Amino acid sequence: MHPEITRIQSMLDAQGYVADQTLATSVYLAIQLRKPLLIEGAAGVGKTEVAKVMARALDTDLIRLQCYEGLDATTSLYEWNYQRQLLHIRLQEHSDIPLEVREREIFSEPFLLKRPLLAAITHHKAPVLLIDETDRADEEWEAFLLEVLSDWQVTIPEIGTITAQHVPYVVLTSNRTRELGDALRRRCLYLWIDYPVFEKELAIVRRKVPGINGELAQQIAAFMQFVRRAKLDKTPGIAETLDWSAALIALHRDHLDQEAVEQTLGVLFKQREDAERIRTQWLDHLLRGVEETSREPRPWSQQTIDRVAERVMPRR
Amino acid sequence: MNVVSRPFGDLTAHVVAFCRRLRARGLAVGPKEAVDALRALSSVDVSDRRECYLALRTVLTSRKDDLALFDLVFEDFWNPPQEAGDHGPQTPQPLENAGDGQAPPPALMEWLDEALQAQGEEPMPAYSPIETLTQKDFSAFTAEELNEVTRLVIAIARRVATRLSRRTRATQRSRRIDLRRTIRHSLRRGGEIIDLAYRRRKIQKTRVVLLADVSGSMDLYSRFLIQFIYALQHALGQVETLVFSTSLTRITEAMSEDDLRQALDEVAKQVPDWSGGTKIGASLRVFLNRYGGAMLTPRTVVIVISDGWDTGDIEVLERAMVELQRRAGRVIWLNPLLGSPGYEPICQGMRAALPYVDIFASAHNLESLRQLERHLAARQK
Repeated sequence: MHPEITRIQSMLDAQGYVADQTLATSVYLAIQLRKPLLIEGAAGVGKTEVAKVMARALDTDLIRLQCYEGLDATTSLYEWNYQRQLLHIRLQEHSDIPLEVREREIFSEPFLLKRPLLAAITHHKAPVLLIDETDRADEEWEAFLLEVLSDWQVTIPEIGTITAQHVPYVVLTSNRTRELGDALRRRCLYLWIDYPVFEKELAIVRRKVPGINGELAQQIAAFMQFVRRAKLDKTPGIAETLDWSAALIALHRDHLDQEAVEQTLGVLFKQREDAERIRTQWLDHLLRGVEETSREPRPWSQQTIDRVAERVMPRR
Repeated sequence: MNVVSRPFGDLTAHVVAFCRRLRARGLAVGPKEAVDALRALSSVDVSDRRECYLALRTVLTSRKDDLALFDLVFEDFWNPPQEAGDHGPQTPQPLENAGDGQAPPPALMEWLDEALQAQGEEPMPAYSPIETLTQKDFSAFTAEELNEVTRLVIAIARRVATRLSRRTRATQRSRRIDLRRTIRHSLRRGGEIIDLAYRRRKIQKTRVVLLADVSGSMDLYSRFLIQFIYALQHALGQVETLVFSTSLTRITEAMSEDDLRQALDEVAKQVPDWSGGTKIGASLRVFLNRYGGAMLTPRTVVIVISDGWDTGDIEVLERAMVELQRRAGRVIWLNPLLGSPGYEPICQGMRAALPYVDIFASAHNLESLRQLERHLAARQK
């Protein structure tokens, strides 16, 4: 492996992020080629985390822009501080300063509120700019973003054109509720993060839930693999796995059984229908899966899980 | 590209050839991506196969659906099943549009797409076990009545179009205060805000893409519906029209001819297989690959007019429908047969497509065309 990729992988690792080679390579190339990295994947697989860890690994600041429907250029780029402007006008009401000068004054940098995109452009050191859940913003904004990403400069009519001194490292995430445009996609490097395989999830649980006993961690990781084969509205991601692990520990459980799972179902499934579906249709299969897995030779791997799932999980 | 390629020589050639093959399979890979691929490879350890694979994948794919295809092409290209000599990285030619930025002629691209999709199927004559049913509605008109009906159809299309735009305006009436301009005005009054300046959101029009089946089983309806499409396009302005049977043809330009008859002649000239068999899935696939990027947005309404008789691979159809539904704002399927009493969508193609259709409606008579307005107006899912 390229030494730099190994370095990034261990950096991510040191920051508490269990990264495989795929992820490390993408992050490395995003830094190396200075191209935005588009990360897609289901909710809760750690997309946002990548940007946070990347900022820490590069020892720079993270600037986050959360997208939502109706996000527009003003709220993402800059706004004038109207209250301050009004106050200033009032204070100078009876001064002799000519109008043009007063106008120039209130439309100068001290009255400018920098929103994430402008903040990223004017940052003193190349920051990591996280554009989170890009799919939630609408097309017009996407076109606007594309412009910013290509030029790295913005024009504020009252002040002039501001060009980035340091081009930010950009990470975009999307949950695919809306398909992003081709133009934006082609500008980006692409990384798809799937739900983790057994080994990776186990490593994450061990890492993030200190003090968990080895047996319980393995059972949890196995259980999650089986759960993701169930037909649910919202398949639980890694965040849920970790919450669940913490809940089990808080209840002093050291292994999975029917009672332990039923007691904590609400942590794992955020939708009542899903919890109900699991309780009534899947729980027996899932627990049998864990039980049969424990009879398999160790160490367990994704192959072990696949083999057991073949036997115990109902066919679709 | 010279600067990048010098230290690699052979590798450059292989990467370019690899990129071309990806593009032939429908991935959005152009000269710019090829350059990125080379830059990426120059940043990793090229003797490490997995690393090269990951680097190329990061640069050359741009959506999840690309990944499986990429793997396939990668495996085939760098690790061909035959002897390494005859099939592997071939003597590459320069990218055909590296310099001039022109896309290859659409006909060629379509032919390529089709060459990849057609899996040894014989072109079949029209699939028309339902011919008798068509005698009822549109098809029941005499030539004379047809002219009258054409006029009616155009009138309905106009009305649909104008109502659509009016409705759009009404929902967009909400104004937002433009603080920047308000403050600026207030300066002249010593900071007293007297007039509020407003700004208005731009009116967003519905964009319509029409995919009309002109194969034998749809012939009578399609000729008719094309007139409707034609009128709608004139009134609405933002309609893209494509027709398909065994292949796909974009006829938006031909439809813009001012004279309707001329337009229809033009279409007949362009469409090689008016009334041949149907390959809906393959045609939709070609549409997605060739036009999807430019035409599909969450605000696009896609109208498919077809009876769902697909003589091609049903799986291809299903996969295309999944993607179509995801990328478009709304998918309407008009099936003229739906108007026939006792009709149920039992043919395989229709059954496969149905789960991915937002609205399934008939289009067999004037009344059903009128109702189209309702479907077009609700733009977002």
